[in-house]
Parts: sequence; C-alpha cells; structure tokens
Amino acid sequence: MLSNDNHIFSRGFDWVAILIYAALVLMGWLNIYAAVYDEAHANILDMGQRYGQQMIWIGVSAFIALAIVLIDGKYWHMLAYPLYCAAILLLVGVLLGGKVVNGARAWIVIGPVALQPAEFVKFTTALALARYMSSYTFSIHRFADLLRVFLILGLPAAIIVAQNDTGSALVYGAFFFMLYREGFNGWVYVALILTVTLFILSFLLTPLSLLIVMIVVCVLAEGLSNGHWRAKIVYLSGLALGAIALFFLLPLCGVPMTMYAALLIVTGLSIIPAYIYAYRHKLRNLTLFAGLFVGSLLFTETIDYVFDNVMQTHQQKRILDLLGLESDLKGWGYNVNQSKIAIGSGGLVGKGFLEGTQTKYNFVPEQSTDFIFCTVGEEWGFVGSTLVVSLFCLLILRLMRMGERQEEAFGRIYCYSVASIFFFHVVVNVGMTIGLLPVIGIPLPFFSYGGSSLITFTVLLFVAIKLDAMKRGTALQQRL
Amino acid sequence: MKLPRARILQLAVIAAFAVIVLRLFYIQVIDPTYKINADNNVLRYTVQYPPRGEVYDRNGEFLVQSKEAYDLVAVPREVGPFDTVRLASILGVTVPQVRKELRKAASFSRRRPSVLFKQISKEDKLRFEEYSFPGFYTVYRTVRSYPRKIAGNLLGYVGEVDDKFIERNPYYRSGDFAGMSGIEKAYEEVLRGKKGIKIQLVDVHGIPKGAYADGMYDTMPEPGVAITCTIDARLQALAEELLAGKVGSVVAIEPATGEILVMASSPSYDPDEMVGRNRGNNYMKLLRDPRRPLYNRAVMSPYPPGSTFKVINGLIGLQEGVLTPGTTYPCHMGYTVGRGVKCHNHSSPLDLTGAVQNSCNAYFCYVLRNVVDNRKYGSIKNGFDVWADYVRSFGYGRKLGSDFLDERGGNVPSAEYYNKKYRGSWNSLTIISLSIGQGELGATPLQMANLAATVANRGHFRIPHVVKRIHDRDSIDARFYEEHYTKVDPKHFDPVVEGMWRAVHQPGGTAGIARVEGLDICGKTGTAQNPHGADHSTFMCFAPRNNPRIAVSVYVENGRFGATIAAPIASLITEQYLTDTITRPQLVDYVKNMQIAYPAYAK
Repeated sequence: MLSNDNHIFSRGFDWVAILIYAALVLMGWLNIYAAVYDEAHANILDMGQRYGQQMIWIGVSAFIALAIVLIDGKYWHMLAYPLYCAAILLLVGVLLGGKVVNGARAWIVIGPVALQPAEFVKFTTALALARYMSSYTFSIHRFADLLRVFLILGLPAAIIVAQNDTGSALVYGAFFFMLYREGFNGWVYVALILTVTLFILSFLLTPLSLLIVMIVVCVLAEGLSNGHWRAKIVYLSGLALGAIALFFLLPLCGVPMTMYAALLIVTGLSIIPAYIYAYRHKLRNLTLFAGLFVGSLLFTETIDYVFDNVMQTHQQKRILDLLGLESDLKGWGYNVNQSKIAIGSGGLVGKGFLEGTQTKYNFVPEQSTDFIFCTVGEEWGFVGSTLVVSLFCLLILRLMRMGERQEEAFGRIYCYSVASIFFFHVVVNVGMTIGLLPVIGIPLPFFSYGGSSLITFTVLLFVAIKLDAMKRGTALQQRL
Repeated sequence: MKLPRARILQLAVIAAFAVIVLRLFYIQVIDPTYKINADNNVLRYTVQYPPRGEVYDRNGEFLVQSKEAYDLVAVPREVGPFDTVRLASILGVTVPQVRKELRKAASFSRRRPSVLFKQISKEDKLRFEEYSFPGFYTVYRTVRSYPRKIAGNLLGYVGEVDDKFIERNPYYRSGDFAGMSGIEKAYEEVLRGKKGIKIQLVDVHGIPKGAYADGMYDTMPEPGVAITCTIDARLQALAEELLAGKVGSVVAIEPATGEILVMASSPSYDPDEMVGRNRGNNYMKLLRDPRRPLYNRAVMSPYPPGSTFKVINGLIGLQEGVLTPGTTYPCHMGYTVGRGVKCHNHSSPLDLTGAVQNSCNAYFCYVLRNVVDNRKYGSIKNGFDVWADYVRSFGYGRKLGSDFLDERGGNVPSAEYYNKKYRGSWNSLTIISLSIGQGELGATPLQMANLAATVANRGHFRIPHVVKRIHDRDSIDARFYEEHYTKVDPKHFDPVVEGMWRAVHQPGGTAGIARVEGLDICGKTGTAQNPHGADHSTFMCFAPRNNPRIAVSVYVENGRFGATIAAPIASLITEQYLTDTITRPQLVDYVKNMQIAYPAYAK
C-alpha cells in the first residue's frame, strides 16, 4: 500500500501549498483562542475550551494528512464511487436520525465528538465528479452527460437542503467554477451574471427606471451587434415621446395611466416598426434582443413574485440588508453590523492579539465559527486580514495550477473542484463578515472552529497535493 | 481554447480577492465610524457622584447633612423567584407598583440594570439585605437630611434636573441632582462638588469586565464644600415655632455685619419631605397648598411696610432740612387736608421723637408734603424723585443683592409712574398715603429688617447675607464687606432712635409689649392696611440701643395691630438672642395660641 518512492517527502510535493496550509491552520487556532479567550481559562491547551479541542482536531487532521501523503494516490480514483455512495447513505441516515443543532438536522454525535457529514460529502462529491467527468465517454456538451453531472451534484445538495442547512447546500453551486474550466457553455455564465445583475437592480431601482435600463441595454446590445446607431436614437426618442404622449393623452379619455404602463405599451407596439425596419435592412438577430428584453422583463416580475411569496422573512431581510435598503441594527442586521464594527475598528495594524474589544466582550455572535474572520480583522488589522486573504488567494491559484499540471482529467477536475470549494467558502465567508455578501452560515476553511470542516478541508487539499505529487514525482524520475 | 479558460478563472479569483481587499481597506483604514462604534460598544462611562457639601449654622450645628441612601436596581434577566409581598413591604410600596417597575425595567433591557426605586433609606436597605432577592441590588448615593427640620425655604431643596435645566446648564446630565431653591440653589456650585468618571469595559450584555486602561482616564469625585451660614439654628427654630399657624415672616440681622440670623417664612415645611421617594407627592402637596408654603415670603413677598416706614420719612425730612427734631405738628385724630388721613388718639402737638413714639400719621403727612413740595426742586415730579432716591438708598424698591437668587426688589414708585397713572395731574396730596408706608409701596421682610439694621447702625448697612464661611475659601463675596450709606447723614438718626426707644419704654408708646428689662429694645410698630382683609401686623426693632447686636423685622399677615402679634414675636426673638433665655413663657403661649383667620387663602 505504501508508495515505493524512497524520497516521498522530498519529491514532487507542492511545499508552498503545504506551508500555506500550515500557516493558515496555525493562525486559525490562535484566532479561535482569541475569540473564545477569557482570563479564567487562559491556557491554550485547556481541553474544556474550544481552542483546546481544536488542537485535537488539528492533530487528527495532521495525522490524516500524513496518511494521505503515504497512501498511494491511485486508490482515490478507485474509491470515488463507493465513497460517494457511502457518503450519500450517511447523509440520509443523518436526515433520519441526526441531532438538531441550530435548526439543522445535520449532526452525528458519538460520545463527546460531534460531526457534520455534510462537510465530508464535499470531498466524496468532488471525487465522484472527477471520476465521472474524466471517463472517456464523457462529453460536457452532451445533454445526457451534463444531466448526470448535475445529478451527482444535486443529490447531496437536495439532502442537505432537506436537513435545513441551505448554506451548506449552496457550496455545490461552486462546482460551476470547475465546470467552466472543463468547457461548459460560456453563455450560461453570461446569463448567470446578467441574472444576478438584474436581480440586484430589481431591488435597487423603481420599476420604471428598471424598465428604462432594460430597454437601453437591449438597444445598446443590438447596436453593438448591428450598428445603425442613428436608427437607435430615433427609436429611443420615439419611445420616449410616445410614452409621454400616452401618459398625458389617455387620462383625458378617462383611462388612468402610469408612466410605467405607458412606456410598456409603447415598447410593445414598437416591435412592429422594429421588425419592418429589421426586415428591410436584413437584420436577422433582432429576435434575439427582443427575446432578451422580454426575458428580462419576465425575470424581474418573477423575482418580485418569488421575493414576496416564496422567500421566508429572514431570507428577505438578509437580502434587503445586504443591498442597503433596510437596516435593523438591533435585529437581523445586528450580526453583520457588529462584524463590520469589529473588522473596521481593527485599523491598519489591528488592536493586537487578545486585545480586540469586540471579540473579547462577545459583541460578535458565532465569533469562533462563521464569524471568526472578525477576530482576524479586529486584532490583526488590515495588514493581518490582507495576509490571510492573500494566503487563501495564493492557495486557490496554487490548486488551479496543480490542476493544470495534471496529465489526466481526473486529477485536473479534482484539483479544480477543490479550488472551487475553497474559493466559494473563503469569498462567501469573508464577504459576509464585511457586508459584501448576504449572511450564509458556512465556515472559513482552517479558521472556523469545528473538526468536520477542518478535517474535510485538510483531506480535500492533501488529496490534491498527493495527486499532484504523483505526477510530478514520476515526471521528475523520468527526467532523471 | 484551454489556456484562456484557465486564465479567465485565475483573473476571476484574483478579481474577487481584490474586491475583498479593497473593501477591507475601506472599512479598516479609511472609514473611521467603525472605530467610534467599537468604542461606544465597549466603553461605559459611569458617573461617580460626590457627597454634597454640608451646611452648618453659625454655631457649627448641622442644618443640612448628606446621608447615605440607596437606589434599588434590578437586572431583569437575573431576577429569580422572590417574595414580592415582602419586597413591597420593605420598600413601603404596593405589590402592583413593584411589578410595574419591574416590567418597565424589563422593557428597557433585560440585561442592563435599571433603577426601580430611588433613595431608599439605609434602614430599609439593611432590611432588604436580610433576605435574598436574586437580581436586585442597591447602589450608593447620598441624599440631603435636615437634622433640625427647620428653614425649608431658607435652605431650599435639591431636585433631579429636567431636560430644560440641562439645556441651560450643560454641566448636568440626566439623573443628576441640583439645588432648586434657597441656599442649595444660591451655593450650588460650591455644594455640589465635582462628579467623577469611571470608564469601564463592558461586554455585549453590558456587564462590566474591568477598568479601561487600568483607570488611567478615571477621575475621582470631589466632595462638595461645606458652608457655615449665618443662621442661628435655635433662633430660627424659635421664630418658626412662634409663626406656626400664621402667615408671615421673621427676619433678623446682625446690624454690624449684615449677617442674617433668622429668616423664617410661614407656613414653612419640613425640608426632609423634599427628600426621598415621597418627594414627588410631597412637593405636589406643597405646591397645591393655598397658603403657598414653597413661597419664601421673607425675600419675595412685597408687603406694604406700614408705619415702620415713617422712620424713613422722618429721616428724609431732617436731611432735607424741612424738619428739625424740635418741629412740632398738631394732630387731632388725623391729617385733615384733602381726603385726609386718620390717626389715633394721642397728645398733640408732637415733635419728631414723639411722632415716632406714638406713630402719629398726621406728623408724617406734613413731613412728606414738605419734602416733595419743596420749592427748590421746582415741581412735585422732581421733588418726588428726590424723595424716592432717598428711599432707595435705604434698600427699598430694589434688590439688596443678598445671596438669595430669588430675592425680589419690592416697589418704590417713581414720578413717572404717577404721571402715567394720573395722566400728569397729581400732587402731594394724591400720594399722601406714602407718608405712612401705604399706597404703592412694597417692601420685603428682608428689606424691613435691613431698615432696622440701618437705623441700628445710624445710617449704614452691609448687604444682608446668609453665608458666613465657605470652607475652602478665606472670605465670602466682597460685596458683603462693603458699607452702604443711606443719603441721610448719620447725625440725624438720634431723634428717631430715641422715638423708637420710647415707643417700647415710655407709657403711651405703641410697643410697650415688646419691652424687656435691661435690653433697651428700640422698635417701631406698623399696622398695614391691605385690600385682602384684616390689617397686617408688623414690627421692626433692634437692641440694645447702643452697639446693637440684633435687628429684627416681623410681619404677620392679617395680624392686625403691630403690637398685637408682631411686636411680641420680635421681642421674644431679641430676648432669646441676647440673653439666651425666655423670661415670659406666658407671652410665648399668647403668641402660639393666637388664631388668625386667613379667608384670602381659603379659596
């Protein structure tokens, strides 16, 4: 079972990634200590405290990392499907008989140890996906194959949603990052970005200004593709005049009219002259832009409907808070506000280790788990938080590079999956603590307190390192 | 195709992290609001209240002390099951009141301490501590206490400041106490001391976690400075006792220094009632009392001075040269010119001394007319203003400038006033009632006492004041050391003093009842007509005749003749002060038993 290579620790391993890992884990531990610190239990090895327990998890993780390094990497390809199935069964088991913590039935408790299987499933899903997508018959452009990819992703995500842990389920969306690398249709991403932009604008703008923006954007897009700029100006001014005329004239006939309705009617009617114009000038793609307009219109209406009728109150509030539309600093805006105060008060170089008042006096909730980055920001300042964020950025780029170095698709897909998961976790977690993204309860890798997450991220990373080392090791040997 | 996609993803990762770093830079380095918010979160400024300065009487006896009192505080979330009935009975409140206060506190904050009941006495606090009331505790503060329970209006009271007060005096914060009247108000800045500040670090629940920066920015409270006032507590107590049940005022001054020995205003109140948890109710009760016990008549009420004012008119006449001590005027039951002024039965004619002794109305009508109609002034208007200037030099018609912020000036009319009132057509007969201290004149008991002191000093006075010593200073305000001379030369005072002496000592004098063997009391009675009912009884005196040590003015509303009630009170005060004994207990009983009806206050 052990690799035959005698120089296993010196050859092929990406020591940069390992050092970054070690640095992040160490910093994470110190910050948990700072977040939970109180003078009565000042010993960092106190097993009754979270920092003491975290040290055990760090030890366990180190042991697992060592095992992964020693075990032959080939087994991961072999074990991908069995592990995936086992993990799914475990998830179902938890769903049926798990322990409820914070409203999510997502925990297994064995004696003093509490584990969250949803964390481990990220790893098995990445493996299974890598194995499936690396098979010779797989094509990302074939619909049936894509469907199976989404099945592999959707199954654990659905069970986790059923466990009432939506935040953890969202991570599976991160695999789109990897899929793009593997050649997934780029227009899907354009559409996604457009959708998100429209989504945000639909909250920030009034319906009328949103309509105007959509019209102008569609006309501009059409113009970029077809030219005829003078006709666009004529068209837009025609719309404006028509809408104004309608707005003032119709009420005279006894029909009540809003500017929004007037503009919508005029725009709808303008389709006819627009098509005549397009027919004359042989502009065939007009339907595409008209479709884009209608699609956007329908989408914004759907958002309104979904927001009002489907979303739960706390979800609505998080979105409104994020967009800066509403604020309730005592209620649901409290977490993010206190988190921003903690990070913001850190200044350039921070208040110093164990000197963070926001942290020490518990102003930030969940400060050793989801909001651990507050401690970094408050006690180590801009310098420290930039260092941490940069290390994560470097690690993700490193993982992507490992992926590119792989000769086989399995390793590449796996490395990119790991990069995706790290990217999602870091950006969403840090983004939420500084008020850039809505509050989604997912851990910051290596920093947030918790064994399941630490072990999972360690396994994810070290399997990638091992896969990378195998290739490079053989490559080096061949070169010798 | 492969490379660009990997490159695009790299750029996307870098861009995302760049946004995060920029955002971090903005909130951590550029925007200062988060730092301020963090301080506001964690620093709690607690005011350390200093004990208020004590007030002693002139003999070193406590008039006001600061005694410990406690605020009952509760942290609602820590409140466990407790015996509500027992707590209510200890505090002397009802069970629903306790529940209501607790609900109020809980709606303010479940984790932060709220004051439920203020100013619990030390005894109640000790009883409270005998039992266990989880979540309740007491906080030290000081309240005023008044061991002798006298001089409510003189000492004033201390009250919690309201928003308007804070707006005018930014030193104060909500929850502070400040002097609201009397000495407490006048010497607030001396008595209040200096508040200290304790800066603590608190956690998210508002629970203190320790001193900020090891207490480097904390300041200790500085206790208020004690004051020795000029009041003689025993004399004050006697004055209040004698005035009990009557409406009026007694003011006594040490002539040589202007020190106020007694300042009693009746009805008064027990100053202890203005302290503690019943303060609000008691205050409202006093405020609604038709006899207005919170009104310090001694310095605020402008009374018609009545016949005591004749002394001033006589002195002005002598100074103006329209009168010599030997000048006599006839009087047969009154002054008959114009509408006339009635007088009582006495021998006629009288000289100045006799006129003072017998309080002859007619005599002073002649005098006043001669002063204001003096040809050298050309017109009655000018003549009148000369006369009014004389009067003001005695401290009438203007604030004396004592250390009572609420002091009023009374009233001495001007020629202009009469010009307006009578549209220019008036003469000395129109204003003839001024000669006997009636008409538009208004003088406070303090001003009348000051007149007694001025006559005792033969023509000069120091501004009456109530503070003898401020304990951290060498001297009191310089204005209290200045001699103020009237416009009447001291040489003219002797005939008047002689008249006042005779009024007490010779048969036929108006104030024989005030006579005490060996004390040489010189006095002048007054019987002031007023539109509100029976005449006011007033009396001013000083004693002994040479080197006087006390000047007293007594004013009893609706007390009828000066000799009826005011003169006995003044006499008893004088005797008590000079001899430390009361030789006439029957006179004390007479004064105490006298019932006076006050229909004007009955409404």
